[in-house]
Amino acid sequence: MKGTRSAPLPSKLSANRGKDTAEQGIWSGTVSFSLVAIPVRLVRAVEPDRVSFRMLHSRDYSPLLRRMVCPEEEKIVPAEEIIRGYEITPGKYLLITDEELESVSPERSRTIEIIEFIDMKDVDSIYYDHPYYLVPLKGGEKSYSLLAEVMRRADKAGLAKFVLGEREYLVAVKSTGSALSLITLHYCDEILGDEDIVPEEARIEPEETSRMKRIIKGMISDFNPDKYADKRREKILTLLKKKARETAPVEAPEVEEEEGEGPADLIAMLQKSMRKVKKNR
Amino acid sequence: MDYYRRISPFILPHLKDRALTLKRYPNGVDEEYFYEKRCPSNRPAWIKTARITRDEGEQMTVCLVNDLDTLIWVENLASLELHVPLAKAAFPETPDSMVFDLDPGDSADVLDCARVALILRDLLLELRLASYVKTSGRKGLHVYVPLNRRDATFEDTKKFSKSVSEVLQRNYPDLVTVKMAKELRTRKVFINWSQNDHSKTMICVYSLRAQDKPTVSFPLSWEELEDSASRRDSGRFDILHSEALRRVEKEGNLFQEVLVKKQKLPYL
Repeated sequence: MKGTRSAPLPSKLSANRGKDTAEQGIWSGTVSFSLVAIPVRLVRAVEPDRVSFRMLHSRDYSPLLRRMVCPEEEKIVPAEEIIRGYEITPGKYLLITDEELESVSPERSRTIEIIEFIDMKDVDSIYYDHPYYLVPLKGGEKSYSLLAEVMRRADKAGLAKFVLGEREYLVAVKSTGSALSLITLHYCDEILGDEDIVPEEARIEPEETSRMKRIIKGMISDFNPDKYADKRREKILTLLKKKARETAPVEAPEVEEEEGEGPADLIAMLQKSMRKVKKNR
Repeated sequence: MDYYRRISPFILPHLKDRALTLKRYPNGVDEEYFYEKRCPSNRPAWIKTARITRDEGEQMTVCLVNDLDTLIWVENLASLELHVPLAKAAFPETPDSMVFDLDPGDSADVLDCARVALILRDLLLELRLASYVKTSGRKGLHVYVPLNRRDATFEDTKKFSKSVSEVLQRNYPDLVTVKMAKELRTRKVFINWSQNDHSKTMICVYSLRAQDKPTVSFPLSWEELEDSASRRDSGRFDILHSEALRRVEKEGNLFQEVLVKKQKLPYL
């Protein structure tokens, strides 16, 4: 961590944030149904907009690490001594091995197999989990655009099961603009019921309904997400830019691994040998 | 695909018992790739595997390429490049070799790498250590110092290779750098000693490289390297698979000693 340059921030603070990470694929394979198979790559569609900070030691500005600590021994526990337990009652655990977990994990697959086409309007947004884009791979461009176009016009989405990482997800393949996107959906049993939320039915007068309708009508507008931005993020970035101009950053101490010389004897011997080599060349 | 079948007598000893990392290009070398350390779970039952523990404590099953059938199977997974660690899967903390990965920065080339490799060879010889060199199959060179001792540790190879690299940088500051940062590498050869780690892998000798030209990571005799360097003939460092097959018939396995020669690092 070199901190003496006067403006180390601009590249990090610039607007095209996440451009290169978006290019990297998370998964590649095919979207298929019936006789159609479209080679695609899955990429992230959103990136959390948070400005993140490193935690530093106030005395020497060393960046801090997270370690697993055993509260009994007050010692760092090495990786080979860490195992998994499922807490059945407080303080009582069932041990689970990696093999056991692996045995219940789904086989990884190279296809997103669309089982049926559904009306996207029927999927309440409560089911939405995480959005991705699908990017066509070589040779798949035409069928990709065709599927996106037809689904967009019909407002339909393909419902599919898809294994990503260790889990099988229920996903909807839909069109976003002229692109295909994929959204992972929550399973039904993950959704909390609304029984306790909806109040007992009360009598509503017709004029109350029409007044509410009028108010809403008066506020109707098109959805323009670019009207809104995270104000706090903007303020933090402005603050950081100002700081980068006005104050020198603090510098973390060199990590021994990086800069520390090798053992003195060895360095001395190597230097002696190096002199001989140079003389003979 | 025929290349690996024909090179198999030469490459298999170098893959044997090592956790294979697959660099997969499922859609051809122009498309994106990913590294896969895990042995695919839909593998045939006869594929030999080993269990290894990752840094996070997670267990993982890896493929061992110990015979021709496995090599052919791996190829069919669209995996052109074969990367292996410096230690065998059964002894993951015991490196069989110490390695110096010479990588030319911008405006430097393989001839600069060759210069550094020759200085490195001479320095190691002064310390009574024999070394062996291969092309990376791209723009760099890899210098191997065989150890083949049960008492070798990555801590030692790291310490030793780092000290050697720093002494080279100190004596040849215009040619050598040990700094990873791209802007500090311009016109210099970056010696990456940090490859001497149990979590790192190197492209296996005789492996194909995925790029437009089908080049191979190929072992060179020091005489040939010296000769090419003095003629400033950088073309001779690009060894295509056809040439590789022709040459192994004549030259045999120039990296054989890397597998068997026992050496101890001095002054540790």
